[in-house]
Amino acid sequence: MRYAVLVPEALVVALAVAVLLAGRFGWMPRTSRAYLPQVTALVVLVAFGIELWAGASVTTYFGGALIQDRFALFAKAAALLTAAIALAATDWAAEDSLHIGIAMPLLSAFGVMVAASAGDMLGLWAGLELAAAAAVVMVSLRRPDLALRLLLVGGVATGLILFGLAFLYATTGNSDLSAIRDVLANRAPTLALALPMLLLAAGLAVRAGIAPFHVAGLPAGVGASPLGAGLVVGLTAVAAGTVAIKLVTALIPIPAVYMLYADVLAAVAMVGGGAAALAVRSPRPRLAYLAVGQLGWVTAGLATHYRSGIAASLFLLGAFAIAATCGPALLGRAEGGEPAIAGLGAVRPVRAAGIGLAMLSLAGAPPLAGFFGELTVAAALAQSGNFVLLGLGLLGLVMSIAAVIGTLRVLYIQSPLEEARRGAAAALPAVTGLSTAGAVAFCVVIAAYGVFGNPILGLADQGAEALGLR
Amino acid sequence: MTLSAITQQSVGAGIFSSAFLLSILIWLPVIVAVGIAIMPNPRGRYDTLIKQIAFFANLVTMFILFIAYNQFENFLPTMQYEEKIAWLPAIGVTYHLGVDGPGIAMLMLSGLVGIASVLASIGIRERVRTYFALLLLAQASVNGAIVARDMFVLILFWGASIVPIALLILGWGGPRRVGAAWRLVGYWGLGTAALAVGVLALYAVTGGRTFDMDTLLGTAQSPRIQIGVSIAMIVAGATRLPLFPLHGWLRDALAEAPVGVAVVVSGAASRLGAFLLLRVVIGAEPAAAHLLSPVLAALAALTVGYAALAAIRSVDIRHAGAYLAMVPGGITLLGLAAISPLGIAGSVLSLFTGGLAAALIAGVCATVAERAQTRSLLLLSGLAPRMPNIAWIFLLAAFALLGVPVFASFASEVMTFFGAFKTQPIGAFAVAIGLAITAVALAALLGRVLFGSPNSDAPGVSDAALGETWYLGILAGALLWIGLFPGGPKIPGTDTPLFDPGFVSQIAAGVSDITSNYTLPASAAPAAQ
Repeated sequence: MRYAVLVPEALVVALAVAVLLAGRFGWMPRTSRAYLPQVTALVVLVAFGIELWAGASVTTYFGGALIQDRFALFAKAAALLTAAIALAATDWAAEDSLHIGIAMPLLSAFGVMVAASAGDMLGLWAGLELAAAAAVVMVSLRRPDLALRLLLVGGVATGLILFGLAFLYATTGNSDLSAIRDVLANRAPTLALALPMLLLAAGLAVRAGIAPFHVAGLPAGVGASPLGAGLVVGLTAVAAGTVAIKLVTALIPIPAVYMLYADVLAAVAMVGGGAAALAVRSPRPRLAYLAVGQLGWVTAGLATHYRSGIAASLFLLGAFAIAATCGPALLGRAEGGEPAIAGLGAVRPVRAAGIGLAMLSLAGAPPLAGFFGELTVAAALAQSGNFVLLGLGLLGLVMSIAAVIGTLRVLYIQSPLEEARRGAAAALPAVTGLSTAGAVAFCVVIAAYGVFGNPILGLADQGAEALGLR
Repeated sequence: MTLSAITQQSVGAGIFSSAFLLSILIWLPVIVAVGIAIMPNPRGRYDTLIKQIAFFANLVTMFILFIAYNQFENFLPTMQYEEKIAWLPAIGVTYHLGVDGPGIAMLMLSGLVGIASVLASIGIRERVRTYFALLLLAQASVNGAIVARDMFVLILFWGASIVPIALLILGWGGPRRVGAAWRLVGYWGLGTAALAVGVLALYAVTGGRTFDMDTLLGTAQSPRIQIGVSIAMIVAGATRLPLFPLHGWLRDALAEAPVGVAVVVSGAASRLGAFLLLRVVIGAEPAAAHLLSPVLAALAALTVGYAALAAIRSVDIRHAGAYLAMVPGGITLLGLAAISPLGIAGSVLSLFTGGLAAALIAGVCATVAERAQTRSLLLLSGLAPRMPNIAWIFLLAAFALLGVPVFASFASEVMTFFGAFKTQPIGAFAVAIGLAITAVALAALLGRVLFGSPNSDAPGVSDAALGETWYLGILAGALLWIGLFPGGPKIPGTDTPLFDPGFVSQIAAGVSDITSNYTLPASAAPAAQ
């Protein structure tokens, strides 16, 4: 039973590899392929159930390289649920490859799971790179040029992160996260520590696509297939957020070395994301900018360096993962800009509801998942007395909500395009039982996340405690 | 004139009780809205059914509300029908609802305005399902903000009303609806942000353990904190009510919104601003209230004066109606600025009467514009013979706005002014002058639109339809009813209330608790002299 905790990881990886091999060697009959998304989503849901059941036990593996605690439980459960809903809600007719389209979200979720349970810097880096590489593969299927750009930018991010981790290792003499915290407990903030933090903050910001580092990653996400965009905007950023939370908790004894960076990044992302979302009209870039704004709130929670702030960041990261990954998947092609989704509320009501809720949640509109997460972060900011950042966040929130109202107007109030005028770029999403069920599940999760948020926030709080915060 | 609590129970009291009465008032409209939104409606086949569902949902809500009003124990100073469930204990959020006298006044206002708004929306033909779903969501969010006893819940419902109302204006509004909706989102968003900052500041200084109003507003704060929080709350309230100079959304939002939405916004949603000021600034921050009361009085005077002058200068009847709908908010604020028991009691009554009067004037101006097929005051003239029903209601709306005797607004204005002339004489005098200019504006408007010489160039005119007459009649009737029977009708020969225990008595519950900060204790009074 000791290794039951690793079953979800094993299931996800085995499934991803099996699907890839089946696609490569044509093991699967054409008639059976239609059931592949259903089966995959079901297996991921089973993995999610096992994680919730077995993941409650606290234990370590591989000499402390992998740690199963409440933080890992929360982040892994969020990644698995996100992957399951995204796979179910995707319009597979709009994807470039069924097998790769199924395998890459699984590998990306696996990357988040590795980062979440990593006990040292190596595990963090490996998880992050795995999640990001899966997104590059997805982008390359449709736009190799953008995939190359994403790869190059990702390389820069990797370089910055590796330099930062190496400096940190050199300064503390440890790669183990809890050991680093112990070493730093009696240290004063120095330039030697602040420099690697600058590199790490920049690297993680580039990876997550936080403004102003979104200039490279965002177009790549926008040009990819719907699920590919979800991986770039959602799960990759979640992996970066998970790594950031674990690093911050290791550095918590000397918050002065990273707080300024977190403050600045959060402010720029919250205000910049909201303003950019207001400035663009096309739904997918708007959704991506809304995601940038919400990532700013996650970063703001880290800037508090309190348990309540870290727990709030984790709570919000869960809501972000689901909305930012599944939002583009629900949006479907929508490459024709606003007209592609005009009147979708009348012709595809469930999908339109999902798109609306995803955007509203990313904007932080009440009473959805994002609102509860952002208000929880806001409470932590108020407790830490950071009212400037709080004010900037609220400014970004208002701009984000105004932006979403524009999209809701297009979804529900404008008339749908005539069929004759719809090109491939504005094709209506195909309606299948699975995609409808996925969209309904998404709507229920986003609406219920905060309303029934007590156990979720409680688990996030235990997750912050598990990282050594009191 | 003072408000006195009575202990008499009216006939029918105690026939219904529910531990979740207030939740029903919030969630019933939400459930119906979701039901309407997912209901199949091919080619608008069930448009009429959807309108009926929305109407009966409001009627049932009003029935439950009337029971709540009837069973309300007006001799208790505490919150009633309380519901308290731990929601997010990690950050101290509780699902805490409750009402006192001012709350029940606001709920009754919201209920009446809800019915009126559905009746005013009978003429909606496009995307009926979406319209009524959004309208019900807007009503639910207003109800939620009224009964919230947890600041987190208050922010949630306060902010939740922005999206449906903005979409209603964007989707069914007039030619300048886009600018109107964005302005509303901008101002209300600013107000929500200010509310959040104020609440979170209170949360932080009280130790960050709970968002419960009883704790946040019951803990004594330093004057500096009180002033900071009060300024944030004044900004939040001023954007909603609205008050000069944060009124920029009002004219276009009320002028471009469909009639039903204009009624909800001017009648109920905007009163939340004054309700917030009453609850937080006057009710819980006495030091700041004393210091800022001249500012509040000045804002009241500027609001009333500006609204009256702008109404005189308007050449669009819906703009004029929108500006005139600002006036009751200024009077309510004057009562709050008085920080005297009489002034505050007057402002509590004014929350209800002002909401009805604002909805009535905004609604009647919109209905005239629709029925006369033009909004231009250069064309609208001599309509009284051709639209007699609307002409009568227009007159009633003007009287209600000015506080003519027999209307409930008379009592509220008398109490407000009597209270304010003692403590804020300059502000009260300025508001009185503003009210006189309002009378001039109304006289000019009525004189031209109803009794001027008919304009042969104007488009064809028709009188109000049945639904329009009913919605305007409900608003005017409620003002008349409370004006004529402030204590409720009694069983002949007895002192027992017939079916209405008396609005003025019911809403007095809890007011003494709010005014206790501004009343000298009996033993201290002679010493003070």
